[in-house]
Amino acid sequence: MSIRHSVAIVASPRPRVGKTLLARLLTDFHLQEGRSVAAFDLNAGEGTLAQFLPEHVTRSAIDDLKGQMALFDRLMAEDGATKIVDLGRASFEHFFTLASQFGFAAEARRRDIVPVLLYLMTPDRTSVEAYRSLCGRLPEAMLAPVHNEVFGVAQYGNKYAPIGSGTVIVRLPLLASNVRRYVERPPFSFADSEAAALDVDDYIELQHWLRRIYREFRELDLRILLTAQQQAKSSKGDRAG
Amino acid sequence: MAKPAVILIGADKGGVGKTTVARTLLDYFGTRQIPTRAFDTESPRGTLKRFHPDVTEVVDVASVSDQMKIFDTVGSAEAKVTVIDVRAGLLSSTLQALNNIGFIELGKTGQITLAMFHILGPSIASLEEIAETARFVGDANYFLVKNYINETLFFEWDPATYKSYFKRIKGAEEISIPKLNEMTCEQVEVASVPYVSFIANKNAKGEPSNYSFVLRGYVRHWLGRVWEEFDRVKLVDLVSPKSEKNIRQVAG
Repeated sequence: MSIRHSVAIVASPRPRVGKTLLARLLTDFHLQEGRSVAAFDLNAGEGTLAQFLPEHVTRSAIDDLKGQMALFDRLMAEDGATKIVDLGRASFEHFFTLASQFGFAAEARRRDIVPVLLYLMTPDRTSVEAYRSLCGRLPEAMLAPVHNEVFGVAQYGNKYAPIGSGTVIVRLPLLASNVRRYVERPPFSFADSEAAALDVDDYIELQHWLRRIYREFRELDLRILLTAQQQAKSSKGDRAG
Repeated sequence: MAKPAVILIGADKGGVGKTTVARTLLDYFGTRQIPTRAFDTESPRGTLKRFHPDVTEVVDVASVSDQMKIFDTVGSAEAKVTVIDVRAGLLSSTLQALNNIGFIELGKTGQITLAMFHILGPSIASLEEIAETARFVGDANYFLVKNYINETLFFEWDPATYKSYFKRIKGAEEISIPKLNEMTCEQVEVASVPYVSFIANKNAKGEPSNYSFVLRGYVRHWLGRVWEEFDRVKLVDLVSPKSEKNIRQVAG
């Protein structure tokens, strides 16, 4: 059993909150850890995940049955790959409606896949309510609320309560704006950041920033591992009983 | 012994989804552990038999020997519920035959539970059947099933027409079967398994299969909605009114 087998859904009902940046970082992180990664881009237009990581990303749409099968059947495939979904705002509601109708999270768990919801928190009501609704609709999913420090230091954890005692907030640290400029222009790759010809200070700033976010991802990995083990234990218990 | 129940599923027109409804019913009772048997009158080859071979027998309702096979065993069979998928065009004649052998009378006097699932098509002709069949079964346990196989509105836009047909049978309950998309229907057809097996990703032998997760998801959601309708009309109470009491006795 591959214990780190997970499906990460990067989501928010708000635009421009850092979903694609987080999905890019996560994809790069898994690649650098030597894992097989399949990422799915549910965004239309420019500056999307598919433009940054064309080799690893499939452009997806869930408007019709064909698109839904291409995405969800792939997410559920037991092919050993880590899956990452960059869920565009326009597809947010439809995706989770389908996921809850299909019993997505419960089926994933039956297949020893840990479904992880990386939810970018913002303090507005829409976002808070959407998060609470998701907690109810996908009770089997592992919750990983994300705080993007570009929005300041306050984490709004109080607004998102009850987050649950086992839930830890993933922090996306702030990157200096002069470096962000490079990072946000395709085809910039975190894995090959030397190619961007940054000056020394910017390069150091970027590496420092990457180290911080990768540390967050490693902690997330450990939680996924723990969840997977608990899952395996409880399913063994079920079989015995 | 509990009172046996017979559920007739019929329509005079073909292609309105009788067998679909029969399949959802067999899954519904199966999941609730209510022993059920089914008769498929699409003699000689039956669609229902293909999906539920273990509990289904193909019969010819026009033949006396097959009538005996169905109705003489209603009280003695292990299965408490008998589901009969009446072939297109045979609904009126089947009801006539049942009336002749006194079976309808058994229902009226309460010795058996007789229920009728009348599947409606989107045409006026299909509504006119209601009048035809109503005179046999009276107002007892009559279910008008609107099967939304397409975007039909069942004349809800015309209250006069609607009322004249749908209110004709006093106490008739309406059941709505939502639409399941074509591709999913086809895949379940190809798989030739009960809906619950398809959802559980199992083939006809009960071995793990490899159906699309999305299509299984659609069936799961759709079947859930169909069953909500069956729950709403209290179908379980109708076919086994005593089972709940039995459970209470055991618990007490």
